[in-house]
Amino acid sequence: MLLNAFVIGLIAVFGRLDSRMLGRLNFERPLITCTLVGLFLGDLKTGLAVGASMEMVSLGFMSIGASGFDMNMGSIVGCAIVIMTGSDISTALAIATPMTLLSTLIETGADILRISMTHMIDSSVEAGNFKRAKTINIVWGPMLYSICYFIPVFIAVYFGADLINLINDFIPEFVLNGVTLGANLVAFFGFAMLLSVIINKKNAIFFFFGFALAAYSGLSLTGIAIIAIIFAVILYQLKYDNNSKVQTADGSIDELDELDD
Amino acid sequence: MSKKGLETQRNYPLRKKCKEFFWGGWCMQTLWNYERQMNTAFMWGISKTLDRLYPDPEDLEKKKERYNAALEFFNITPQCGAFVLGLTAAMEEEYAEHPDTFNPEMITNVKTALMGPLSGIGDSLFQGTVRIIAMSIGISLAQKGSILGPIIAMLISFAVSFPITWFGGKLGYVKGQEVIRQISENNLMDKVMYGCSIAGLIVVGGMCATLVNITTPIVYNETLVLQDVLNGIMPCLIPLCLTGIMYYFVKKGVHPIVIVISCFVVGIVLNYFGILAV
Repeated sequence: MLLNAFVIGLIAVFGRLDSRMLGRLNFERPLITCTLVGLFLGDLKTGLAVGASMEMVSLGFMSIGASGFDMNMGSIVGCAIVIMTGSDISTALAIATPMTLLSTLIETGADILRISMTHMIDSSVEAGNFKRAKTINIVWGPMLYSICYFIPVFIAVYFGADLINLINDFIPEFVLNGVTLGANLVAFFGFAMLLSVIINKKNAIFFFFGFALAAYSGLSLTGIAIIAIIFAVILYQLKYDNNSKVQTADGSIDELDELDD
Repeated sequence: MSKKGLETQRNYPLRKKCKEFFWGGWCMQTLWNYERQMNTAFMWGISKTLDRLYPDPEDLEKKKERYNAALEFFNITPQCGAFVLGLTAAMEEEYAEHPDTFNPEMITNVKTALMGPLSGIGDSLFQGTVRIIAMSIGISLAQKGSILGPIIAMLISFAVSFPITWFGGKLGYVKGQEVIRQISENNLMDKVMYGCSIAGLIVVGGMCATLVNITTPIVYNETLVLQDVLNGIMPCLIPLCLTGIMYYFVKKGVHPIVIVISCFVVGIVLNYFGILAV
C-alpha cells in the first residue's frame, strides 16, 4: 500500500512536471496518467477505461494563460482507488471531483507563494547573484509544483481505499448515478469553454457541420477528425491559393507587355 | 565595452543556442505566478545569452538592466515561447553591438506585441486543435481497450510540439526582425488561425454530438417514448441544447467552480426523477 501510494505519487509528479518542463506534451492528461496507473497496478484495462472517461469529461478544459482548471490530480487518485478497491468506474468520477476542488485550492495557495519567489528573484538580480535567480526558477519552482502534487495524491491513495469502501457502503445508489450524470454535464461545460475561445459568427457554421455530420452519420470521432483536417486543408487552399493564381495571371500579362518594347 | 562578449556570443554554436531556446520554451511554466506569470522562466531562457554577452565585471550594470528587462510580464504558449526567445536573443545581440543606436525598449515592445497573437494561435493550436484531435482518437481507441490509444495520442502531441518549438526558436533567432515584418505583411497569423479554427470546430462539433450520450428515459403512458420523438426532430438534440446552455453560462462569466458544483447537484436531482440519464 505504501509502495502503491509512493509510486502513484511519483506518476502524479511526472504528469505535473510535463506541463511545467515539457511544454505540456499531454503526459499530464487523464488518458495518459490513468493508463500509467493501470500499468503499474497491473490492471491496464481499467486504467484505460477510467482514463478514457476522465479524459472525455475534462476534454474541453483549457488553460488560457492563467493556471487552468483541470482534473488531472483527481483522475489519478480516482483511477488508483477504483483499481485498488475493485469499485465501479463511476467511483473515479465521484473521487475526482472533490480532489479537483482541493487541487485548485492548493494551486491558488502555491501561486501566492510563487509571487514572493518572483520577488526573491528580483532581489537576487539586483544583488548581482544571477545564479541564484536562475536556480530559484528552475529548481525551487518545479520542486514546489512536485510537492503540491505528491503529498495530496500520496495521502489520498494511502488512506483513500479504506475510506472509499466505507463511503461506498453508505452512499445511496441514486447519488452515485446522479454524480455520473453530473460529471457528464460538466463535460458540456468543458466543450462550451473550448467553443467560446474558437467560435465566432463567421466560422460557427463549421461547428454545426461537425455536429450534424456526427449526429447523422454515426462516424467515429477518428473519422470526423480526419474529415475535419481534410476539410480545413481544402478550404485553406481555396481561400489562399486562389489569390496567388490571380497574381500569376496578371504577372504573365505584364511580361508580354514588356516584350513589345 | 562588450566586444569580447559579443564575440563569444557570435561564435557560440547555433545548435547549442537553439537548444537553449528550445528548453526555455518547454520550461516556460516552472514558476508561474499571478503577478508576472511566466516572467522568471523567460529570464531563465534568455539568461545564458545574456551571460555570454556581458561576461566582464564592467558589464555588471548592463547585465542587471537586461536581466530586469527579461523579468517583465510574460505569457505565451510554451511551444511558441522558443520563437520569442530566439528573436529576443537576436535583438539582444543587436543591442550589445549598437548600444547607442538600438533602443532597448524595442525588445520589450516586440515581446509584448508577439505575446498576444502567438498565445492565441498557440493555445488554439495545441490545446484546442492538436490535443482535442489526439485525445479524441486516443479516447476512442482506449474505450475499445487498446493501449494504442494513449500511445497514438502522445505521438501526435509530440510530433506537433517538438518541431514547432525547435524550428520556432531557430527561426526567431536566424531570421530575427525580418520575421516580424513578414508575418504582419502576409497575414500569416490570420491564415494559420483560419485553418486551425475550421479543423478544431468540426471536431468539437462532432464531440458535442457523440462523446457524451445523454438521453431522456421519460415514457408517457407506456407508449410514447420521448427520446424517439426527440430523435425524430434531430438526433443528439439534448447534447446540442446542453452545449447551448453551457455556452451561455460561459459567455456570462459564471465562475467554473459554481458551474461544476451545480452540474453535480442538478445531475443528482435529474437522475433521481428520471428526467435525464447517461
